[in-house]
Amino acid sequence: MSPLRRNARRRACRGGPALRIFFATDVHGSERCFRKFLAAAEVYRADVLLLGGDVAGKGLIPVVRHNRSVSAEVHGQRVTVPEAQADRLSADINLLGFYPVRMEPDEVEALNDSEELDRLFRREIVAQLTRWCELAAERLAPAVRCIITPGNDDPLEIDAVLAAAPRIESPERQLCDLGPVTLASLGDVTPTPWHTEREYSEEQLAERISAMMDQLPEGRPSVINFHCPPYSSGLDTAAELDAQLRPVLRGGRPSFVPVGSTAVREAIKRYQPTVALHGHIHESRGAQKIGSTLCINPGSDYTADVLRGAIVDIAADGSCHDFLLTTG
Amino acid sequence: MSATAASSESHAPGGLFTRQASGLVRELGIPAATGISLASVAIVNTFINFNAGLTAFSKAEMYLPLLAGAVIWLVAMFAYRHLLEAVPRAGGEYVFLSRIVSPAAGSMAGIAIAVVFTWVLAANAHFAATFTPFMLTGLGDAFSSSALANAANHVSSNGAVAAISVGVMLIVAGLSIFSLKRVAQIILALIVLQMVAFLALALLLADHSHADFVAAFGSYSHHGGAYRAIIAAGKASGVAYGASFAAMVGIIPFMVLNYNGVLYSYYVGGELRRPGRTYLWASAISLGVLVIVWVGVWALLRRTAGLDFMQAQANLGASDPGTLARISTLSSQAGGLGYGLVLSGDPITKILFATAVPAAEIAVNLAFVAVTTRVLFALAFDRLLPVGVARVGERNHAPVVAIGIVLTMSIAFSILTVYANVSNIVALESLFFALILLAGGVSALLLAHRRPDLVRRAGAGDVERVAGIPKITLIGAATTALAVFTVVLVVVHSNVYGKFSAESVITLLVILLAGPTLYAVARLIRRQRNAIDLSQAMRELPPE
Repeated sequence: MSPLRRNARRRACRGGPALRIFFATDVHGSERCFRKFLAAAEVYRADVLLLGGDVAGKGLIPVVRHNRSVSAEVHGQRVTVPEAQADRLSADINLLGFYPVRMEPDEVEALNDSEELDRLFRREIVAQLTRWCELAAERLAPAVRCIITPGNDDPLEIDAVLAAAPRIESPERQLCDLGPVTLASLGDVTPTPWHTEREYSEEQLAERISAMMDQLPEGRPSVINFHCPPYSSGLDTAAELDAQLRPVLRGGRPSFVPVGSTAVREAIKRYQPTVALHGHIHESRGAQKIGSTLCINPGSDYTADVLRGAIVDIAADGSCHDFLLTTG
Repeated sequence: MSATAASSESHAPGGLFTRQASGLVRELGIPAATGISLASVAIVNTFINFNAGLTAFSKAEMYLPLLAGAVIWLVAMFAYRHLLEAVPRAGGEYVFLSRIVSPAAGSMAGIAIAVVFTWVLAANAHFAATFTPFMLTGLGDAFSSSALANAANHVSSNGAVAAISVGVMLIVAGLSIFSLKRVAQIILALIVLQMVAFLALALLLADHSHADFVAAFGSYSHHGGAYRAIIAAGKASGVAYGASFAAMVGIIPFMVLNYNGVLYSYYVGGELRRPGRTYLWASAISLGVLVIVWVGVWALLRRTAGLDFMQAQANLGASDPGTLARISTLSSQAGGLGYGLVLSGDPITKILFATAVPAAEIAVNLAFVAVTTRVLFALAFDRLLPVGVARVGERNHAPVVAIGIVLTMSIAFSILTVYANVSNIVALESLFFALILLAGGVSALLLAHRRPDLVRRAGAGDVERVAGIPKITLIGAATTALAVFTVVLVVVHSNVYGKFSAESVITLLVILLAGPTLYAVARLIRRQRNAIDLSQAMRELPPE
């Protein structure tokens, strides 16, 4: 028996939890956050690592070759280093959550073509996730289950990468047995101003949720991993945007409004899972109760290289024993 | 990913290229950040601090303190700029201390700020209550209503002040249960009212000569020689006229408090576009605007009302209100707004001057409720308080439980302030605010030492250095030194800024130690219940 399994059994014997889940979300291409996510299994003694979507990065920085140097613009500042240090510069850019792409000056111009830029992004996202899956296989203890599901900011191409990774489980829109509870996962969200790839109307979202949750055996405790948080839960408060996608200011401050899903809220009320895990709205970290369900959004602080997460302890009867929001 | 887009920098070879993904364009530019900074300062409250300086120090003069206060915040601005670049998140000192110094230090700041801000809510309500006679006099004058003017004589008893304080808090409570979006709109309306009143005051002062003011004051007081009588009465009661350097230095902490809020766009650091640059420009513009406006109004007040007169009126109001009342009914607390009321010839400006301070206190309290409930949220999420504290109303999206706790506590404080002498207990409030500035300075001082990974630029082997010392360390040291200077002034002038007594020192210590103690108790209880160890909440995860 592995030490991690022994930990779980020891906790259960003491009247503690039978299953410990570590949940994080929205790392958005941050290399350092993903590495911390893998380290969390050992540090928090988790039985299951769950990454709830939005793994893909948002920014791409060309590292441009010159005579004997390379340069890149990072946070608005031009950084130039000798060519011998190009790998380190790329690694630094990667740690900041951007994709460094080596190219010639004339190739940079081509990125003003949105199709070319889109192609490059997809290539880099897939390449990074493939590396991450390999890293997980290398670093995780055999007993630890690692589940990664997509979010609305993840291109559809990543589904195949996750499905092909032997060490990763990706039960998107499926039920997954975790022992005392069944996990249900959905990365789809309601429409956003950015028109990302996994957006659906409230009605479509409700249908997808029902199609999955109705398969759950009667009385079987569940944990849901829905990327989109429930509407007006305090876990979905985001800045209000105008037509140009600029934050609306009221009283000299950004105006905040609820942007979650009513379909998710109704599903929580109807199915009453033990725990509901959400992401999507980075600044809306918190925990709330809807009926008997504990709803958690650990938030995201990937730009500061900080992994925000939640430890959730599930008792042998499938009830929630305890939870703790973490900042690591 | 349905679409991609190059950012505005994409035309420069090698810039940042972005794809269209949720959240990316939620960025505040310099105008928005400047608006946040200016909205965080209660502009008319400067008259409260002018009045406090004039009564607390003999031969008080505001030019040097106003400029010195600005310089202290200017240096601090550079320190916060670096902190914001390293940790571009909302949360201010709580986040900086917990990330750079330790989670315990962050908890100390978080809980202490929550408690002190709750007290400040009560203090603001109490100030609005004591300002009510001026408001009623002004409104009575504007509407030519003797009933309103006479009512001013019946609202200064303890019972009346307590009732008005509670009334102010109930208004704040009623407005706070609206959605945050609606609350922000109400705050904006109240800020506009203050700004218009301030502008009207400046125009009135500029448009009238000293002789006009002397005549208008006589007319207002129904006593032609009222102006000279005030100066003579002040002299008779020992008020020293003129300006002294020692008094100007002593007043500096009042003016540091005056600017409090001007750098507050760092509280929305996670929303700023290119945080360091945006924050720097927004803060510099805000600071510059406030220096021009406040120094300008002070200069106009000196020219039109006269320094001797202001010193005499403020000191008589504090030490011999009976004598002052026999000469004029003009409240000394109102300061410049009162002088505006004297010069005003139309009812609109009179209404503006009468209602500017209550409007400011309600606006500030609405903002403080939002901030304090956010802190309670964080404590509940960290399991230091029950999770129920963070419950959000389904209809109004408002944190109803947290709002209830904050308002109940502040109403209790308001009543306590009226019926019990709590001045000893809260005497070190000014010291606490100076300590917050010190916390920012220390965070900047230790940043490069404790978290060089957050400071080092991409591709660089080391942090930026000047004469071998990290640049941020030098700026942090300068900010710390200026914060210490402010703390020393507060301590040296403890008769003005708060006396050190057993009660005041114990209160400050209790507030500062509340965070770590709560943490230790919560951890112990959770251990006994076989729950998750609380120390895991802020444990640094190794990336490798």
